[in-house]
Amino acid sequence: MGLFDKLAGWLGLKKKEVNVLCLGLDNSGKTTIINQLKPTNSCLGEKNWCHLLQAQAQDIVPTIGFSIEKFKTSSLSFTVFDMSGQGRYRNLWEHYYKEGQAIIFVIDSSDKLRMVVAKEELDTLLNHPDIKHRRIPILFFANKMDLRDALSSVKVSQLLCLENIKDKPWHICASNAVQGEGLQEGVDWLQGTD
Amino acid sequence: MIKKFDKKDEEAGSGSNPFQHLEKSAVLQEARIFNETPINPRRCLHILTKIIYLLNQGEHFGTTEATEAFFAMTRLFQSNDQTLRRMCYLTIKEMANISEDVIIVTSSLTKDMTGKEDVYRGPAIRALCRITDTTMLQAIERYMKQAIVDKVPSVSSSALVSSLHMVKMSYDVVKRWVNEAQEAASSDNIMVQVGMVLVWLFICPPSCFSFIYPCLYHVMFPMHLQYHALGLLYHLRKNDRLAVTKMLNKFTKSGLKSPFAYCMLIRIASKLLEETEGGHDSPLFDFIESCLRNKHEMVVYEAASAIVHMPNCTARELAPAVSVLQLFCSSPKAALRYAAVRTLNKVAMKHPSAVTACNLDLENLITDSNRSIATLAITTLLKTGSESSVDRLMKQISSFVSEISDEFKVVVVQAISALCQKYPRKHSVMMNFLSNMLRDDGGFEYKRAIVDCIISIIEENPESKETGLAHLCEFIEDCEHTVLATKILHLLGKEGPRTPSPSKYIRFIFNRVVLESEAVRAAAVSALAKFGAQNDDLLPSVLVLMQRCMMDSDDEVRDRATFYMNVLQQKQKALNAAYIFNGLSVSVPGLEKSLHQYTLEPSEKPFDMKTVPLATAPITEQKTEIAPVATSKLPEKPAPSRQDIYQEQLAGIPEFQSLGPLFKSSEPVQLTEAETEYVVRCIKHTFATHMVFQFDCTNTLNDQLLQRVLVQMEPSEAYEVVHHVPAPSLPYNQPGSSYTLVRLPDDDPTAVSCTFSCTMKYLVRDCDPNTGEPDDDGYDDEYVLEDLEVTVADHIQKVLKPNFGAAWEEVGDEFEKEETFALASVRTLEEAVNNIVSFLGMQPCERSDKVPENKNSHVLFLAGMNLPDIYFILKGSE
Ligand SMILES: Nc1nc2c(ncn2[C@@H]2O[C@H](COP(=O)(O)OP(=O)(O)OP(=O)(O)O)[C@@H](O)[C@H]2O)c(=O)[nH]1
Ligand SMILES: [Mg+2]
Repeated sequence: MGLFDKLAGWLGLKKKEVNVLCLGLDNSGKTTIINQLKPTNSCLGEKNWCHLLQAQAQDIVPTIGFSIEKFKTSSLSFTVFDMSGQGRYRNLWEHYYKEGQAIIFVIDSSDKLRMVVAKEELDTLLNHPDIKHRRIPILFFANKMDLRDALSSVKVSQLLCLENIKDKPWHICASNAVQGEGLQEGVDWLQGTD
Repeated sequence: MIKKFDKKDEEAGSGSNPFQHLEKSAVLQEARIFNETPINPRRCLHILTKIIYLLNQGEHFGTTEATEAFFAMTRLFQSNDQTLRRMCYLTIKEMANISEDVIIVTSSLTKDMTGKEDVYRGPAIRALCRITDTTMLQAIERYMKQAIVDKVPSVSSSALVSSLHMVKMSYDVVKRWVNEAQEAASSDNIMVQVGMVLVWLFICPPSCFSFIYPCLYHVMFPMHLQYHALGLLYHLRKNDRLAVTKMLNKFTKSGLKSPFAYCMLIRIASKLLEETEGGHDSPLFDFIESCLRNKHEMVVYEAASAIVHMPNCTARELAPAVSVLQLFCSSPKAALRYAAVRTLNKVAMKHPSAVTACNLDLENLITDSNRSIATLAITTLLKTGSESSVDRLMKQISSFVSEISDEFKVVVVQAISALCQKYPRKHSVMMNFLSNMLRDDGGFEYKRAIVDCIISIIEENPESKETGLAHLCEFIEDCEHTVLATKILHLLGKEGPRTPSPSKYIRFIFNRVVLESEAVRAAAVSALAKFGAQNDDLLPSVLVLMQRCMMDSDDEVRDRATFYMNVLQQKQKALNAAYIFNGLSVSVPGLEKSLHQYTLEPSEKPFDMKTVPLATAPITEQKTEIAPVATSKLPEKPAPSRQDIYQEQLAGIPEFQSLGPLFKSSEPVQLTEAETEYVVRCIKHTFATHMVFQFDCTNTLNDQLLQRVLVQMEPSEAYEVVHHVPAPSLPYNQPGSSYTLVRLPDDDPTAVSCTFSCTMKYLVRDCDPNTGEPDDDGYDDEYVLEDLEVTVADHIQKVLKPNFGAAWEEVGDEFEKEETFALASVRTLEEAVNNIVSFLGMQPCERSDKVPENKNSHVLFLAGMNLPDIYFILKGSE
């Protein structure tokens, strides 16, 4: 069972659906994060589970274009648009802004060199007409916190000037997508904003 | 809502199309619901159907609106509705070329193709390959390789077929998948599955069939799988004859399960046989022949068809193939009867006697309820039957000719055309039949076939000329096809003036000037001019009509009229011949280029027509049989001839720029045997004072790279080798050209012919046959080629004089020279004519190269042009 499916099965209620856009530079770990949140194949026994998790992490290749994934939590049903972060595809993000009801923005906190690029992309996003005047929640993952030279989430939020975001709820948490650490916290926050 | 709609439609039973009045803008508006959540699969499905329908109706989608719709569609990947997803794949394929950024769905598709939902996997692969370009191919290569060897046959099949499409785009990448394809071709999990399902079929109650059918589907796929794998393997190797041969050997020995794959193998084998000019003792031929005994009818038919289409097939080799086809003629399956009779029909064109054995079976098919089969049977019999049966068969055919489609009417016309050549005495019956057909309704191809047929009858049988022309005149009175009208007008201009009463055609021609479109009017003016030029008593009235044409609203028509008017008023035979009967003999693209050049560098000197290369091989006038109409297209802009292309290529080489216009390019001469290490052929290009020898060389050794390849030539006469342009490098199997420039001897005009001994010299670098990586250093080597002859024909260019008499008179007596030659070694007149034509390389005119049977004297008219600009007209008789 996936991390968030535990309650869902018991309640069996029809859940509210939320469309989430997962954005961020290439190699920041978007796909890895979503793979962690996704339910895994339920026929597999407990023993195979570890093996599968590893296989999933290994199998991840750079996304081209986008891919749609779904997962449920106790109260919500998420549909995530996992976008490709490579430079040549970033201008395609905007096609999906309109229906995004929440944004997950992933930052590779060990990639100091490209922090400015991440900031630039974030600013472009925030100024986009389809986003600018909407109060949509933004969840930041300062990912790859396990790496030695990773910046703290506080440092990341400073570098990205997150304090300037006034008209939208936002939250940042440090994460390690490979191990699944920190993800729960973020998603809990997202659920709470709704 | 949709359901209701469907139902109503069904009840009405009118078969009316629910999509008939779709409006693009409305549909695109509707497509906005793709953005809504939650997704309504049924509605979205319906809208996608509408979009695809519009696209298939040829509706134009602008890039912006297409892209918008496409991106909206991408959101539908949220839904897990299977039908909707598969409709998305279809939409992706349809829009791949009209929307921007279609690669946005790459990851979604790779996810589906590797996912666990088998019904998605195959179609996702096919869609993915449509949106992938060369730059993206690397990214999906891994998935493709895996998919090709996937154990689910539908996935593997899709991957193979998609790879085949991508060979065109990126041969080098797909080539790396050859091992996977090989594995797919020889995978044997097929048998297990087939066996399993068959057992299931026996032991299951019918209620389980709904379960069995999907399994059967999986059984059918493996059949195609081999076929698809073979197709891919062949396309990856088709440029490498050796590899193809190996592959054929392997599969012909091991055998294949799939009849489709067998058919393909037969096709590959017969192509290879043709290319290598392999004799019929080759193992490939044995293989094809053995397929005549295959248990699948499809394979048997393919083998028979391959054999009958082989060039130089003897009657003995044909016999088994024909008897198989004969058997098929009485098959209860219409498709087989059709295939058999259609193929026999083709055989009958070349080997009528081989088909006579089937006459009885064909007679039975005359009354076949399938009209297509009946038509083919009759037209075959027309070719094989005796002269006496012609009338009966023609009567039979006219009873239903109005019921068959144009395509088959064309077949009938072709049969008539062949018949007229075989039994010239029947031409009046045929002409009658044709003229009736000409009056019937029918499309362009059909009408053109009839017109071509009448024209060829006229050309073959002078006594039918007047009737034929009369029919054609009647036809153009009400003819909607410009091409045919101008063609007939041209013919009238050529033949009309030489008939006993030319005046009767004038009315038909002039009617065109009054009634028709510009192109036809212009052609009519040209035809009129020819009457004026040749018939003195018609001249005054032609001049009056010309005067009227000079007032035409169209520039071209007026220009022509003015031009002809002025020429005709001179009343000089030579002028008429040069400017009215025998028009331009230069190459049109060449003329265009020269004129353009002249306008770029204007000079005091008037433009000189002699600098324009001559038109080559005016084949259209020579041909005797009607080309299969279906394959030929409408005549468009004059395509550059072979020679125009050479002229262009040679002009691109700095050393040859000062040679002047290219006078003539020979046919290629082989200087090596076909199956040698290096294959070399030579094309001789003649210029005013030089010749350029173009050596097209191919290196067939995959472990060698040749560099600095040149051909050294030792002349037997006073020809002087001036310069070599080597081919810089000749990798394995990539042809390259090396040139040798030779100066013609100018003091000795009799030394036209010369023999050159030729040696190819080059630097060899050995290389790894697999990677093609060459060694760092190499060694010099040489290779002796066959001797090359330069002959009289290389110095003479064919010129077609449609009206030979006029051209002959134009030259005048003082230039006439008469000599008698004895041709000792020839036995028949026909042989003599052929020898003279090919020795002199001149153009036979007025169809004088056709020697009538049972005559012992013949006049041959030849026209040619010598270097630099001496016209050369020859009248020979025996
Ligand atoms: N050490 C570490 N590696 C991670 C973490 N998250 C992701 N990665 C690795 O980072 C690489 C990139 O991850 P992806 O999930 O493909 O990144 P992405 O953002 O989806 O990249 P694009 O699809 O190209 O936009 C992978 O090799 C992951 O294994 C993390 O928290 N810690
Ligand atoms: Mg990704």
